[in-house]
Amino acid sequence: MNVAPYVEFAKKAFAREATYRAEVVTNVGSLVVRVYLLRSLWTALYAQNAAPPGIPMHAMITYATVALLMSLVLEIDGTRAIRERVREGTIATDLMKPISLPLYFFSDGLGQTLLGALLIVPSLLCALLLVRVDVPSPGVLALFALSFALGYAVNFFLNFLMNSVAFWTLETFALQLMVRWVSDLLSGQIIPLSFFPGALGRIVNDLPFAAIYSTPLRIYIGQLPQSEIGPALAAQALWIAGFGAAATVVWRLAQRRVVVQGG
Amino acid sequence: MSDGAHRRSPGGMPIIETRDLRKVFRSVKRTPGALGALKTLFSRETVERVAVEGITMSLEAGELVGYIGPNGAGKSTTIKMLTGILVPTSGSAVVAGIVPWAERKRNARNIGVVFGQRSQLYWDLPLVESFELLRAIYSIPQARYRKNLADFTALLEMDDFLQTPVRQLSLGQRMRGDFAAALLHDPPIVYLDEPTIGLDVVAKEAIRTFVAELNRDRGTTFILTTHDLADVERLCRRIVLIDEGKLVYDGPVEGLKEQYGTHRTLVVTLAEPHTGVDVVGVESVEVEGVVARLRFDRSAVSAEQLIRRVTEAYAVTDLSIEEPDLESVIRRIYRDGYDAPRAAAERVT
Repeated sequence: MNVAPYVEFAKKAFAREATYRAEVVTNVGSLVVRVYLLRSLWTALYAQNAAPPGIPMHAMITYATVALLMSLVLEIDGTRAIRERVREGTIATDLMKPISLPLYFFSDGLGQTLLGALLIVPSLLCALLLVRVDVPSPGVLALFALSFALGYAVNFFLNFLMNSVAFWTLETFALQLMVRWVSDLLSGQIIPLSFFPGALGRIVNDLPFAAIYSTPLRIYIGQLPQSEIGPALAAQALWIAGFGAAATVVWRLAQRRVVVQGG
Repeated sequence: MSDGAHRRSPGGMPIIETRDLRKVFRSVKRTPGALGALKTLFSRETVERVAVEGITMSLEAGELVGYIGPNGAGKSTTIKMLTGILVPTSGSAVVAGIVPWAERKRNARNIGVVFGQRSQLYWDLPLVESFELLRAIYSIPQARYRKNLADFTALLEMDDFLQTPVRQLSLGQRMRGDFAAALLHDPPIVYLDEPTIGLDVVAKEAIRTFVAELNRDRGTTFILTTHDLADVERLCRRIVLIDEGKLVYDGPVEGLKEQYGTHRTLVVTLAEPHTGVDVVGVESVEVEGVVARLRFDRSAVSAEQLIRRVTEAYAVTDLSIEEPDLESVIRRIYRDGYDAPRAAAERVT
């Protein structure tokens, strides 16, 4: 396969997003505000002894800050374009190009992601003025990076599947919003999943959402014992395989729907 | 892979050939109202709509064909099947040796598409960046890309806005950009869908000249779908006319006028003003001062006969006969149907 076009897509997406300079600055600013709010919230909660068992406050604040930094990358949805193009009907012209559209959306999202990733650095520096963030050993950092990348892929496929619903319903906003809320809560982005008690905690840990934020974050703050890191990464890979297969099937059906209904 | 050279089909083999191409759309039957909407959710009842009903046509490489018909006639559906994004219900089509829907991506390399109503350019990026992206998509060799870009920039006068973000371009500029974008990879076949819609006369003319030059110099085959018949008269020698999914005429533009332009208008300048002009054989009369316009069916009365009758009854200073333009011919076909004038013509011959 010729990758040149896809590299070009990523570059163009990066350039396109970078043209909205005001938005870039706002993103960093809003992140710093959220770091401050979360620090205040957790400090207050810990003072009231409402803290979860087994997570000291500095780890909790690290968790919250790193989760926010991760969201700079994970909240970018390159496949949003599917929904927009299906509704506008431009998906037909996209199909007239000699390219793989899912790969196009992936590359486009990756380009946007790179810009988001670059924002992590200044955001982190600003955040460090407000909070102290624990830094684990290089080995743990590497495992975290790997797990983060796997989480990124799970997130991509989940978004891809959500947006592909547009091929059938055109309007997907309500569904998107619902999945977004559920995902925010169950992925461990807002609170660590160890907050969920007993059986609920075990279920939540086994849902695909946990593979997006919770797994890399638990590796980062050292909440996951060495022996459980391997299985956790394997679970992430399994979700990627499952969602990847589902996405392939859905895309095939979606394409057939376009070719039968005329877009 | 596009090698930049044009694949002319050898020995007069058609570059596009369709046989009994047919497309039926099925949709769930909808019942109006809130309860109806609920019913629709659970209903399995479907309605069928025939969009294209057995189109058979054949295009030689280098032809520039006007593909016309009223709204909903099935023009877009046909084009979508030829671009490979729509699978026909039955029938066959071969475009440059490829069955488009069976090999969508391979077919995509052979075709260029311009839609007047939607742009394929990158909204937020300078125009030239969209071209760069297309270079990557179609793997256009660098030298070829540079030459085409230089040629198109000159032909379409795009120098001034190559670096302008597409969202800031005027419609005329954007359309020129879209044309260049569709042709950068030297497609041997180009589909134009309402390419001049909403453009001013100058921009229209620029686009038409560009199409004519490419057709002449590079032998690019064009299928032009439009409601602006001036486009067709200016560019096409051949017309394929469809109505309600059926092919109703396929032949030279002149032939269509010959066949359907059964009416002529005799314009008479009278020596003195009359309130009405009454001549046998005339279908309708408009009088304005000394000028009378007499519409007649040339199969019912010859121009010579009519002129004699007019000059016998009135003092006339000038006479001329207006030939029908394509616009009025097509309007008549849309209004009266395809068969009415043909039947009339056949009665006489």
